[in-house]
Amino acid sequence: MTCAKTSQWAAIVLPPVILLGIILALWAWVSAQGMIPNYLLPPPAKLWDAIVNGRSVLWRHGLATTQEALIGYVIGSLLGLLAAIVLSFSRRLRACFFPLALATQAIPIIAVTPLIVLVMGRGMPAILTLVSITAFFPMLINMTRGLRVADRGYHELLHSLAATRLQRLLMIELPAAFPYLFAALRVAATACFINAIVGEWIGSNIGLGYLVVISGQYFRMPMLWAAIVVTAALTLILAGIVAMVERAVTPWAATEHGT
Amino acid sequence: MSAVLAAQPSLRARADGISIRDVQMVYRRGAQTTTALAGCDLDIPAGSWVSLIGASGCGKSTLLRILSDIVQPTSGQALLGGLTPAEARAQRRFALVSQHAVMLPWRRVLANVELGLEVARVPKAERRRRAEEAIDMVGLRGFEKAYPSELSGGMRQRAAIARALTLKPAYLLMDEPFGALDELLRDRLNFELLRILNETKATLLLVTHSISEAIILSDKVVVMSPRPGRITREIDIDFGHNRSPTMRDDPRFGRLESELRHALGDSMGDEHH
Repeated sequence: MTCAKTSQWAAIVLPPVILLGIILALWAWVSAQGMIPNYLLPPPAKLWDAIVNGRSVLWRHGLATTQEALIGYVIGSLLGLLAAIVLSFSRRLRACFFPLALATQAIPIIAVTPLIVLVMGRGMPAILTLVSITAFFPMLINMTRGLRVADRGYHELLHSLAATRLQRLLMIELPAAFPYLFAALRVAATACFINAIVGEWIGSNIGLGYLVVISGQYFRMPMLWAAIVVTAALTLILAGIVAMVERAVTPWAATEHGT
Repeated sequence: MSAVLAAQPSLRARADGISIRDVQMVYRRGAQTTTALAGCDLDIPAGSWVSLIGASGCGKSTLLRILSDIVQPTSGQALLGGLTPAEARAQRRFALVSQHAVMLPWRRVLANVELGLEVARVPKAERRRRAEEAIDMVGLRGFEKAYPSELSGGMRQRAAIARALTLKPAYLLMDEPFGALDELLRDRLNFELLRILNETKATLLLVTHSISEAIILSDKVVVMSPRPGRITREIDIDFGHNRSPTMRDDPRFGRLESELRHALGDSMGDEHH
């Protein structure tokens, strides 16, 4: 079993790693040939140096961004879940709110950012608000659908057992909606870091977004690239954690395709 | 109603069974009306086993859905032990087993069997004990930790029956429980169900489209016919409650089979005109 698992992992991990290696090699070669000026695209080695040398700066700013992204992510997701549950209890409420929730997806968050910073001032609260909004809507929209996918047979079963409305929610509607829940969490995981950084551009004196802007202004290209790489890594780590949690809390999903 | 019951002892005796009085079910869609059930009367004494058999559209499933309080009849009255279906459901007096053994895919077998007890807020230890007892009864020991998707159709249906048994229902309402299974497995499960019925003393109302299943599992087979759905015949099966697979070799079994086949043929005759 472990042997099969190892080879399975290798099959998933190896191809992208190989491709990444090729890209890095190509990048190093292009830089060495001087096709792109080094001050715009530093060679990989120089970028690595920037990360190692600037680790305390990257750590400080990365920590701030991670905090904003994670706290906003949790708040927004929880509120979105709560709102979806409330809407699931009333068809009328759903009819009022859901179309508007869908419509808000048409508003680009970048356009709203200056407004939020203006109203709330620069700093953590504005950025948390921004990130929460980012996580809120995917969760609300996904779970409003997800809470309705439970099979009619499940509802009839719980009905025949004289279950309460709350028991129906906890025992069938929520578990049946797990794929929707995790889809929303995955979408929000990436979006939260992006929007935390967008918020930091104009609304903060700390964070990777601030670091990107400042490094750009002072033409510190290796640090700018280092900030981008760290952001990407953080986003990947969160997405990976979400995927792992999903696998851990939905063990039955693994049995459904295998048999 | 209660005055009538008091005056007639024979009716009162039936009060703890299932009683269906002039039950009608009419569906309206726009100007069109469909009579799913036209004035059905049926009495099922407590502890007896009755099958409903008939062509599709004869209303046999509708009758079961009325008794399990999923739909309300247009008129007439259905009672389980003197309670309306809604009251009986609130008191968890009946258990419903449907054709597609409904299992929650995210629960292991044990947790699925415990579901009814969990809904009824039975304490955990007691829940575990009763679920394991029911799992033993249907022969699923060893599969408690499996997920429903890892079970065969027959095992899923056993698990569904175990779940139904945990609440010790007075009435077992089954809607073609073995309809999706092959003939051999169905036969085996029929006799296992008989053993369980004898242990639990539950009243059985079974919807089926298999003649032999109806005979094996019934004291009385009720033949229904469609357009409009109604009861056309009631045939008594005098095999007692101590039955074994050898009952098939009894000449009475063959006679009942052909009698039922004819009754069903007559009731389906309408379709050809």
